Amino acid sequence: MNPDSIREKRLREPWFAARRDLSPRRASLLTVLSFTLPLLIWSAVSYLPFLWHPDMELQISADRENVTTVYVAGDRMSRGFFPEFQEAVREQNKPVGVALESFDPAAEVPNGAAVRRANKKTLRHLVPILTSNQWITEDQAKDDAAIYAAWGEIATGSKIPMRPRLSDENLAIVAKNWAAMSEVSQTYDSDRFISVPLLSLVPQGRPANPDYLPAPHEVVVSGIKEFAAPPEAERPSMWQRVGHSVRIVFGGFLLAALVGVPIGVLCGTYPVFSKLVEPFTDFFRYMPAPTFSTLLVAIFLANDAPKIALVFVGTIFQLVLVVANTTRRLDLPLLEAAQTLGANQAQLLTRVVIPGILPNLYNDLRILLGWAWTWLVIAELVGVKSGLTEFIETQGRWRNFDSVYPVIILIGLIGFFTDQILSALSRIFFPWTSEASGKASPLVRAILFVPRWFREAAAERSLGMNSVAATSKPEQV
Amino acid sequence: MNAIVDPLSYREQRPEVRARFAAMKERPVVLSVGNLYKTFPTPGGTVTALKDVSFQVYRREFMCVIGPSGCGKSTLIRILAGLEDASDGKVLLDGNPVSGPGPDRGMVFQSYTLFPWLTVKQNVMFGPRMAGQKGGSAESEARQWIDLVGLSKFENSYPHQLSGGMKQRVAIARALANRPRILLMDEPFGALDAQTRCQMQSYLLQIWKNLDITILFITHDLDEAAFLADRILVLKANPGEVNEIIEVPVPRPRTPSQFVSPEFIATKYRIDQLIHPEAAHETDSIPFPRMTVAGDDVE
Repeated sequence: MNPDSIREKRLREPWFAARRDLSPRRASLLTVLSFTLPLLIWSAVSYLPFLWHPDMELQISADRENVTTVYVAGDRMSRGFFPEFQEAVREQNKPVGVALESFDPAAEVPNGAAVRRANKKTLRHLVPILTSNQWITEDQAKDDAAIYAAWGEIATGSKIPMRPRLSDENLAIVAKNWAAMSEVSQTYDSDRFISVPLLSLVPQGRPANPDYLPAPHEVVVSGIKEFAAPPEAERPSMWQRVGHSVRIVFGGFLLAALVGVPIGVLCGTYPVFSKLVEPFTDFFRYMPAPTFSTLLVAIFLANDAPKIALVFVGTIFQLVLVVANTTRRLDLPLLEAAQTLGANQAQLLTRVVIPGILPNLYNDLRILLGWAWTWLVIAELVGVKSGLTEFIETQGRWRNFDSVYPVIILIGLIGFFTDQILSALSRIFFPWTSEASGKASPLVRAILFVPRWFREAAAERSLGMNSVAATSKPEQV
Repeated sequence: MNAIVDPLSYREQRPEVRARFAAMKERPVVLSVGNLYKTFPTPGGTVTALKDVSFQVYRREFMCVIGPSGCGKSTLIRILAGLEDASDGKVLLDGNPVSGPGPDRGMVFQSYTLFPWLTVKQNVMFGPRMAGQKGGSAESEARQWIDLVGLSKFENSYPHQLSGGMKQRVAIARALANRPRILLMDEPFGALDAQTRCQMQSYLLQIWKNLDITILFITHDLDEAAFLADRILVLKANPGEVNEIIEVPVPRPRTPSQFVSPEFIATKYRIDQLIHPEAAHETDSIPFPRMTVAGDDVE
């Protein structure tokens, strides 16, 4: 192997060279990375506890005296406040602990009923730990007998919570409480229940991100759950919602194209139309489509009509101007050549202008279809909320962001893949453009490339080893 | 040592040259331009692009139009093609006034104007199809024209698959397919590299020789004009006026070996004198700083 070979030089080519094409291998690698990197960053932020995680998700909560804000397990609080919260509970426990040590089961306690109620609550604070360790089911969350038994099992060490663990501090509290409780009764009995205050469990939590950034697996899990759910009477299935949204976007867009393309082509071809139509269109497009929503409801009434109309209004003015511009960009010499070849005005339009602009027109429509998608959310809020937007709205209000993300991502995927497919089709529709004879789209290449890249990388590695062996041998001799 | 001969006096000495042009002028006039004016209104006042241009092109003549840049040669050919209107004067084709573009005046542009969405064959068929000719007969005729420019192998290719020279050959075939009375060519080889241009000039002369076609050819290249033309119309700039019509004494058929013939050189010299009479002095007077390193003299 000659280290100065062209091949070696190619490998040493710089990554940063202004306007210089990357090797297809690097280009495809980067395309793959452009998708995987955001995913990796998301995963890192979600799964590496030392990255960000500004909140604590409570695994065990506690009630505090004189504080009305109630936190339950699963709630998030800022990391700064959490130690304060724990400290408050510890302070609260101090006198309780003293009283508990000198506890006499025979002595009568004033206010017994209220204390028992509070104690029952304290016992139940352990429930989230019990359920996540799968010792009791969700249905047993109020089954005091089972909870009571579990306290005993933990206190005696016959069961040790592992997922999540219980802090040593809390294990000690469980033991102390159980020592007192078991003196009254070994099993749960509402009549023979301890009537002096028990120690509260000290709040326990794990670092967490705010609820608006769920982890990837949570998004995937709730995505699968939502999309697999069958339709109910009042609640359409997710796929029905997708279909509904797609109908609105495509309906509005196709109508706009049907009306707008002929107008745009005429404007781009004949200055008469251009001067007559474009100034007003240019003015009208600055009026935001959503401002017409109430008007559209008044005209088109309920259901989908005003929604489709909104996408139409939001798209058509841009479309006319873009198509007119594309038409004007057609090489003037082509029109002149056609005229010297005997084409009349009608033939110029049908045989030169229209075929000439088709590929660019197709591209414009692709871009405008993306534009139409941006109107979807507003359109679906018009009149009766519907489709994917209604779902996003409701779930977002409940702060079920792990259900919101799959929908947002799905809209992105639909748009992206429609565009990729249309782009791939354009090579079939327009074989005469120079792009058609070029390479496939970067994404397609990237997808096809991944397996080949691994193969090549492996081949190169073995090649490199061989070359090392080849060069090192003579030195040994 | 005075080898340079004035082409006008040279012609006087050669009766066969005189006879050749006399014979040509007996032929019918295809294109007649009379007192043509073209003015443009601009914010700074009216600009006269063409002033009192008159000339005639005879049947089967190959005429070149040459002039300094800005002399209005492109404006002239666009008026002849009907793509622009003259301000005054008349243009007669076979004695009939010209109005608007039409298939009787084929045009080849400097920029590539093949329709990119049509194959070579469909491009050549374009004119006949516009005139209402049926697909089948148009197609077989188109094949003949494509044969003529030597591109049979590429009849189903799209323009973006062709080289610049091939594109211009198709453009010529496309213009010829309408059987025009005159072929107007606006610097058609201007965008080609020197070698291809030479080749294309020979092609064009062959085509011209084999067909009954009159050509008006615009160029800014002295060699091209002297090599192709029967007569060269030299324009002056600002305003564009006819300076002189040179009758090229170089005999036909033309071959590249004639590039060094006294007639050819004399023709070129004459054009050069007409186009930039004082340019030579100007370049002499440009002060040139010395930018070489000592010991680097090249003499």
